[in-house]
Order: sequence, then structure tokens, then C-alpha cells
Amino acid sequence: MSRAGSGSLPRYILQRILLVIPMIWVILTLVFFILRVAPGDPVSAALGGKLNAQALEQRREALGFNRPLIAQYWDYLSSVIHLDFGTTFSDNQPVLHVIRDNGGATLTLTVAAFLIALLVGIPLGLLAGRYRDSSPDALIRLFGILSYAAPVFFVGFLLQFYVAEPLGLPTSGDASPITIFTVPTKTHILLVDAFLSGNTDAIEDVTKHLVLPAVTLGLVICGVFIRLVRVNLLQTMQADYVEAAEARGLKQRNVTWRHAFRNAMVPVITVIGLQFALLLGGAILTEQTFNWPGIGQKLVFYINNRDYGAVQGIVTFFAIAVVLISLLVDIVNALIDPRVRY
Amino acid sequence: MIRHKVLALTGAGALAVALAACGSSNSSGSGDNTTSGTGSPWILGTTDTVTALDPAGSYDLGSSTLEYNLYQTLVTVPPNSTQIEGDAAKSCTYNNPKTLTCTLNPGEKFSNGDPLTSSDVKYSFERAIKIQDANGAAIYLLGSITTTAKDGTVTLNKGAIETPDDQTVVFHLDHPDTTFQYVLTYPGAAAIVDEDVFPADKKLPDDQIIGSGPYELSQYKAGEQAVLELNPNYSGPNQGKTGQVFVKYYTEPSALKLAVQNGEIDVAWRSLAPTDVAALKKDSNVTVATGKGSEIRYWVWNVGSGVGKQLAVRQAAAQVIDREAIAKDAYDNTVDPLYSIVPPGYGGQKDSFKEAYGAPNPGKAKQILQAAGISTPVNITVGWTPTHYGPSTEDEANELQRQLEASGLFKVSLKSTEWEQYQTIYKQGAYDLWILGWFPDYPDADDYLSPFMVDGGFFQNGYKNQQVDKLVAQEQGTSDQAKRQQIFGQLQDIAAKDVPFIPSWVGQNTAVYGKGMTGVESTLDPSFIFRFWLVTKNG
Repeated sequence: MSRAGSGSLPRYILQRILLVIPMIWVILTLVFFILRVAPGDPVSAALGGKLNAQALEQRREALGFNRPLIAQYWDYLSSVIHLDFGTTFSDNQPVLHVIRDNGGATLTLTVAAFLIALLVGIPLGLLAGRYRDSSPDALIRLFGILSYAAPVFFVGFLLQFYVAEPLGLPTSGDASPITIFTVPTKTHILLVDAFLSGNTDAIEDVTKHLVLPAVTLGLVICGVFIRLVRVNLLQTMQADYVEAAEARGLKQRNVTWRHAFRNAMVPVITVIGLQFALLLGGAILTEQTFNWPGIGQKLVFYINNRDYGAVQGIVTFFAIAVVLISLLVDIVNALIDPRVRY
Repeated sequence: MIRHKVLALTGAGALAVALAACGSSNSSGSGDNTTSGTGSPWILGTTDTVTALDPAGSYDLGSSTLEYNLYQTLVTVPPNSTQIEGDAAKSCTYNNPKTLTCTLNPGEKFSNGDPLTSSDVKYSFERAIKIQDANGAAIYLLGSITTTAKDGTVTLNKGAIETPDDQTVVFHLDHPDTTFQYVLTYPGAAAIVDEDVFPADKKLPDDQIIGSGPYELSQYKAGEQAVLELNPNYSGPNQGKTGQVFVKYYTEPSALKLAVQNGEIDVAWRSLAPTDVAALKKDSNVTVATGKGSEIRYWVWNVGSGVGKQLAVRQAAAQVIDREAIAKDAYDNTVDPLYSIVPPGYGGQKDSFKEAYGAPNPGKAKQILQAAGISTPVNITVGWTPTHYGPSTEDEANELQRQLEASGLFKVSLKSTEWEQYQTIYKQGAYDLWILGWFPDYPDADDYLSPFMVDGGFFQNGYKNQQVDKLVAQEQGTSDQAKRQQIFGQLQDIAAKDVPFIPSWVGQNTAVYGKGMTGVESTLDPSFIFRFWLVTKNG
């Protein structure tokens, strides 16, 4: 097996970073034109039930929505280059502040859900692969399919109605109003800020609020991990080197854990990384169900209000996040598997 | 716009009656000063959204809910009344038909200690108009002191606001307009801001606003929560009973319902679905309180073309519609049938549609159509929107279809589309009959009549009636309330006869609260002002 020169990975990383710019430009352009093609605009969304057509048209004119699309597009691109996404029309907030203030909540939710998915999905996937075609395998596979197929909002409702009260867990929000009021904002990630404050009541409150939404989203994703780990483990267990290890008299547990499992995880890491990126999108439904103040919830609000600037800014943020995460996954892959080179 | 056009059709009535507003001695909003701020903090949950807390950029209920508690206006609406009274002003008086003079209460201060003077009042109006924010009410509601150019630019009339001294504000209207005093109660158009804090040409960030109202803003996280605490410099009659009020924002009514059931919030107000309210009535841990509301739903006819052009068709449908069935089957009786475009509780209101048509009667409807030589069934296209007005709109549309078709006189084709497209295409004549909702800007029957009946209404349904135009101009040009109410009655009778629209229901002002809460019922009235200072939590 040949190895490429040691300089190829840094060159690859540089190329990928440079490719981010045109990728973001394409996404920005698509979002810009799709929003304007869709019926409605911010003015009619806000005032259509109060003003006549003439008054609405005057407001659109004053806000520049009637200017040629290409002129609006050019102005928008110019402002994005200066990282000026403007102020939202529907709730008077700087778009960057929305991303900052609500992005932390989404990050908290997705990381927590991700951890739950890993902690539940990987061990169960291993068990299913190890005890292939047994009752545990069947049950675990069934669990994986059900958790993956169940709509996330349905799982959320079930937990809200039947689990919250017996366990004394809150049904919505990321913290009680008093916690939000008393915890000083430093990182704009409430859980981190609560820990930094040292306020144990706040830490407990924020953690309790996180449980149900994180479990809801995590359960949905863990179904993917169960299946993925199981399939890869089964494939790896059929490899020559595993057979050789078994032939040498190694214990089955050592064969599985020290040989098969590690190699089975390499492709899993790639998918896990991409799933994290997709979690950002899946968080939208969870945030709606649990009134979680994340960026997904805000995106739904702004889309419903045709708030062009806000939607464009948030989608750009999502796009950058997904692109960077996939780049990170590629880098990790290259680092752990010497066979991978670009 | 429509309101401006109407005001331009000036009647020549003389405004002779002075409006005397009570000052700080009124009892309607007073709390006990000796016990103010002693109640426990409480949490209000709502699905309303806030557009802006700077009055120059707001024209929505979510914003005004906070603004009523954070700012003062010159005059205001006390609970369960449509008679306005003084707030920052001791009195507002019409010296002559086009001049309104307001005298401020002495010693008023903003929460930062700055004195509130006439200069702040004038500044508040000037900046709101200068900023020209599309979301701000000022450029739409202050037609009597502004001029709108062809391109929509609104400018304050020269000399429209005079401040001869620190305590006096004089408004010079460009025509007699008795509704102007009511507009002054609405914070989106008339909240008083500190000229030393609020910039003249742009909005202040929401978390930096200050006012002179009973509460001050201690924290604001957009879309998440607002925290209000007692304003130590407030000297008016509306002393809050609780030191701290949290307002928590929800996106889904289901989450709001769960929160109030589980005690995560103390009061849920706007907007719970009818099924949620019905379920909560059975929950012994919460109390469902209702008061009179002012939000209405109504069906608008395309009078300019299609089958709606024929008066007999409109009258026949009005004869068939069963509002009680709609209220029961579509809304679980969480709304009340509405027999006039003006809801009950407003001076001059009368149930004109009930007087004209009585109980639903398909036989009479048939006679109406036969007398006009119209063959049946009449095909009509009915439009509704699944977004914007809530999921029960579909139930109402289906029920209306059922009623019209059950009469044997109509064949209904139901069509729906998302709100954004809906409000464009109904103006283009996509439907013969379509549903809309309305929320008043100020507590006067005029706000339900002039926007709907003059020059096709804001919804431009093609209805024109010169008698209506004259009557509206007359009632707007006089402050003789008896005369105005008589005119209101005439306008409602004309609406019932011409049927440019069919009123359907008026919503109840509903709140759900947990144990230990008092005073919630006292603020549930048609004004939809949630007066935090009246509500307290014990223990």
C-alpha cells in the first residue's frame, strides 16, 4: 500500500477552506431568490391585515422591496461581505445577535442530543452486532427502527405528556424565567453561563430543562448509530485479520473489542460527523415542540414572516456550520486512517 | 390610505363639548399604594410576538402589551370601560373642533428620573413620524396631524403640535376629528418617550428602552422573555401590586397549555386553541377566566364582481348563516356569535343583523333569491387561510359550507391558501366570500366601521355607499357622543341591509391562571390591555 506525500493533507485542508467561499455564495444566492419568488413579503406579513393595497405598496417602495432584484441582490452581497446582516424586520433584532443569542441554545441541544445518541446508539449497535441474529439483536434493531422512524415532535409530545410530570421535569424552555434573569450572560450558552456563575440552583434548573428535548432528539439519531455500528461491526468481523486473530486463539471479547470494534468505527466516525451537522436541521422540530429558544425556532418564525434578512443570515450561519463540520470530519478521518489521503 | 381619505371628507360639525378627563383620583386602575409591590413575582405566558418595544416601530398586540405597562400615553382606557381618562395628562380638552389641549400631571418622571414635560410629548410624535418605520403605528393612525404624499411619505403638519409651556401640549388637527383622542390612548402611536434617551432618527434597541409607566424593563430577550419591575419614579394611580413580572414567550399554544397546567407559568393569556381552553376548564388546578373581547371574525363579500355583486345573494347568505352553530361546533363556545361588525360593549353598538334577519331561515332566504329572480343553487367560491387565524378557521369554513349547502340554495367551493398569498389574491377577486379578522386600534366603534365601509374598506371589496361616507364623516367630526352613537346605529343598519360583509363571532378575552393569582379577571376587557398592575400572586 502506498502513502501519499506528507504535505497533501494541509493542501487539502486549504483547498476545502477556500471552497467554503463559493459554497456559501451559492447558498446565499439560492436563498435570496427563493425567498423573493415565494408569495408574500415582510410588509404584507406584518401589515396585510390592517392596510389596503396602496398603503402596503407604499411601504414596500419605501423599504426598497420593489427595486430590481439584481440591485437588491448586489446590496445584500455587499453587506454580507462586511458581515452586516442588518436588523430583522419582524422583531427588530440585529441578525448577528439572533445568531449569537439563539445559536448557543441550539448548540447546547445538539451537543446534548448527540452525546445521548452516542452513549445509547454505539453500545446498543455493538451488542446487536456481537450477538447477531439473537433476541437482543432483534430487539435492538426494532428499537433502532422505531426511534428513527418516529416523528421527533411525536416523541416530544409523548415525553411531555407522560414523562415530564412523574419525573418533575419542565415541559418547555431552556430554563425558568428566574434563572434566565439571574444568570449573567457571558458565553451566550446558558448551561455554560450557569456553571460559570456557580449558582447550583441555576445549574440544576438548566440541566432539568435540557433533559426532555435532548432525549427526544437524541433518540431519533441513535437509531441511525445503532444500525451503522451493527453493520460495520458485522463487516469487520468477517475480515481476514479478524479470522486470523480468532485462529490464533484470542478470546472472542478481545477479538471484538481490540480488533473489530476500532476498525469498524472508522467509517462510523465519518457518518457521525455528518449526522451532527444534520442535527442542526433536526433541532428545528424539537425546538418548536419544546419552545426551546434556539436558532431553528427563530428560523421558522422568520420564514413565516418572510423576514428576508433574518432568513438569509441564519441560513448562511447553518451553511457555514455544516461545511466546517464536514471539513472537520474529513480531517479526523485522514488523521485516524493512514489509508485516507486526498 | 383609507383612514386618511375618510378624514379628508370633512363634515362641518362643531366640536363644542370639552372632554374632561379624570386625573389621578380615578378608581379604575388604582392600587393600594401602601401595599404596592408586596405580591410575589408571577409569570405570564403568551404566544404573542413583540415587533419592537420602541413605540416608533410597533403596531401589534405583543408589543403594546408591554408598552401599556412601560410607557404612559396622554390618555388611556380604564378597565371595563370605553370612556377614556387621563394618564400622563390630567385632562385633554377640545377648545374648538380642531384643537385639542392636554395638560400634563405635575411631577411626572421617567424611570431614570428625567422629568416628563411637554417637550418629551412633542418629541415622541415627531420622531415616530420621522423614523417612518413600516411597523410603526404613528404613520397610519395620526392622519389628523400628518400629511401623506403620493409615494407614501408621511410628514408631520407644520405647527401641528405646540408646547406653550412644560405642562401643556396643544394639537392642531387639520380637520375636526373626535377619534384623535382615542388614538392618543394607543402606545404604538402615542407613547411618551424621553427625548434625552431615544434617538430622533432611529429606533432604540429594545433592551434599552425606558418609559414613565408603572413598570420598567429590567431584562428583555427577544422571543424568550421580558422582565418588568416596579418603576420607582412612577407617581400615577396604577401602582403595581407585584414587584416583578416575567413575560415568557411561546411559539406553540400546546406548549403554553402544558406550561400553565404544570405550574411553570402563573397566567396563560393569548392564544390558546378552543380545544385547549375546553380541556383546561376541566382541570381543577387552574381557573379559566373570560371577559368581553373585541377581536372579531367576519366574512367579506366581493361586491364588485361575481355572485357577490347581487344584493339578494348576500342577503340570502346572511339569512342562512347560523352563528351559534359556528361558535359551538368550530370553537367549542369559546367565542360569542356576532350580529354586528361592532362587537358588544362599544357605545352605539346594536345587533343589526339579528334585527334584520332574526334566526337562520332557509325558507326566507329562498324567497329573497326568488324575488330577485336568481336561480339556485348559487355557486360561490369561499376563501379561507389555514395560517394566521389558527386551525379552527378550517372548522368554521367547513361549517359555513355545510350551512349554506344544507339550505339547498348554495353550492360552495372552498379554497384555502397561506396567509401571504391569501391577502393578495382576495384583493384580486379570487373569492366571492372570504374570512378576515380584526383587532381594534382604539376603543371606539368608528374603528370597526370606517376601515370596513368607506371606499371598499381596507380589504377593497368594491362596496361604495355615499350615505355611509357622509355618516362616517359626521360621526368623526362631532364629539357629541349621543349623536355619534345614533350614527353608529345607522351605519350598522346599513351594513345589515347591504351586507358587504357578514359578521361571524367576537372572541372572548380569555386567560388561564393557577392557584394564588388574583386580579386577572379585572383586566380582561375588550381593550385587550393586560394591566400588570392589577394582578398579584399571593404566597
